[in-house]
Amino acid sequence: MSAEPVIQVQSLQKSYGKVEAVKGIDFQVGQGEVFGLLGPNGAGKTSTIEILEGLRPRTSGEATVLGFDPDRQKQQLKDRIGVCLQATNLPAKIRVQEALELFGSFYSRSLSSEQLLNRLQLWEKRAAYYETLSGGQKQRLALALALVNDPQLLFLDEPTTGLDPQIRLEIHKLIEEMKGENRTVVLTTHYIEEAERLCDRVAIIDEGKIVAMGTPRELQQKSRMQSRIDIVTAQVLNGNALPQWPDALENSLAEDGRSLTVYSSRPARTLFEIMKWLDHQSLQLEDVHLKRPTLEDVFVELTGKKLRD
Amino acid sequence: MKTYLAIIAMDIKLALRLRAVIFFNYLFPLIFFFTFATLLHRTPEQLAFVVTMSITLGVLGSGFFGSGIRAIQERELNILRRYKVTPITPVPILVGSMFTGWIIFIPYILVLLLLAHFLYQMQLPAHMVQLLVFISLGLIAFRSLGLVIASVANTMQEGTIIVQLFYFPMLLLSGATVPESDFKGVMQIVHNFVPATYLVKGMNSMMLGHGSLFQKDNWLSALALIITTVVGSTVATKLFRWEKEEKIRSSAKWWVVVALLPFLVMGLWVWLRH
Repeated sequence: MSAEPVIQVQSLQKSYGKVEAVKGIDFQVGQGEVFGLLGPNGAGKTSTIEILEGLRPRTSGEATVLGFDPDRQKQQLKDRIGVCLQATNLPAKIRVQEALELFGSFYSRSLSSEQLLNRLQLWEKRAAYYETLSGGQKQRLALALALVNDPQLLFLDEPTTGLDPQIRLEIHKLIEEMKGENRTVVLTTHYIEEAERLCDRVAIIDEGKIVAMGTPRELQQKSRMQSRIDIVTAQVLNGNALPQWPDALENSLAEDGRSLTVYSSRPARTLFEIMKWLDHQSLQLEDVHLKRPTLEDVFVELTGKKLRD
Repeated sequence: MKTYLAIIAMDIKLALRLRAVIFFNYLFPLIFFFTFATLLHRTPEQLAFVVTMSITLGVLGSGFFGSGIRAIQERELNILRRYKVTPITPVPILVGSMFTGWIIFIPYILVLLLLAHFLYQMQLPAHMVQLLVFISLGLIAFRSLGLVIASVANTMQEGTIIVQLFYFPMLLLSGATVPESDFKGVMQIVHNFVPATYLVKGMNSMMLGHGSLFQKDNWLSALALIITTVVGSTVATKLFRWEKEEKIRSSAKWWVVVALLPFLVMGLWVWLRH
């Protein structure tokens, strides 16, 4: 993270009447970072992101985005950020290029519509009415609109929800490109693999609080869950003759006698010892898999919920 | 300025791409005009009545449906939500809506007056430009009323009910469809409190009597329309909502009455004068 954070949030709190949606959260996002907010529906991630975009006032706490206060300097802030919201629409009869030119006119600076159409692979569709676009094309247009003012900070609120896997991969590629251009991206998502693939850091948010924050790897390492090593040998193993490998917590041999599963708190060391043992026993290894706890496992462990609950 | 121009240009394009806009702004009032003009063109008064009726129909339709219902639709469809994340304020959106309505409507008035003149020998008004200015004031005033309704209605259903509550009484009690001479007693008093009455009276005076915009009754009507535009636009800006989830208190609906205040004063003034 660079010295000057792009986003700084301290004790941020948001209530809707008696309902406390965000309960005093703190985090920072640095220049060029892709920061993910993970959480189930109603966790408070959209409220958080909308406060930072200047769309909703906070109840208490401090927030600074690109040096602006989102409550008091809304227009200046909106001029500098790009936003891709959940569930928005455009007029049915607006053409793709017209939409880009119209939205471009709202900002103090804007990229050319041709440049964006090419970049978002919408050139062929530039004269198409919005109502005729597929879900993926509409989402690409939403991203193009978010980029129309060439922002250094983008807020992407569940940009791939409801899209088929192929389109999701395309959107992932676009987000990776944005990251490559040193833009800062704040991403909310339901999809764990999206967060694992795209985010430099994630904050897991549940019931209005951040329950864990760090790189996906750090979070996985913090998990109390063990890694799992799956081994398949060419020869049948004797279940009673298996040694106690270092850091191995539990093992089980399948009925075929060839598939062995070992749980370990330090999988690299355990795996190394297993390999040595196999070699010593002159056993031939056919297959090996090491599975670390996923972010989804960490999420379930921390919140007791599935991400899509 | 570039934002205003872009919104107005886009609004005009979008409006002209919608068949409903073409039908309700041009075809429907023209069908109405031809039918009644063919039936009732025996005297200049009758023809002027038909022209006034056709224009009032268009003004009220443009104000309540073209402006009000469309604004609610854009909010319900989450279109305004997309605008909310940009640096624009509600002002260019509201100005764009009013200006677009005017641009689309003015050709219709010109076509209507020329058709009445060439097909039914109606004499053109002596102060044509002043008549167009007066109708424009009426159009903008009723479009701003439509925007006030859009800003106080929480749902499309609510908006449709409020619009109908204003549209039909204004159409029936303003003298646009039922001649003013038919209103007696209480109906005459009610007639004087209906905002569209002043639009109809002004148009009749300028078309039939060849009166000018600066005659006392006409400039008072014009003033009421201007005040309504100013109050209506201010209320619509203050109560503007980008998202359907942002609900407004039921008591806010009284703002519609505030926007209509100039006509309540006019009605009271006419009532006391008689």
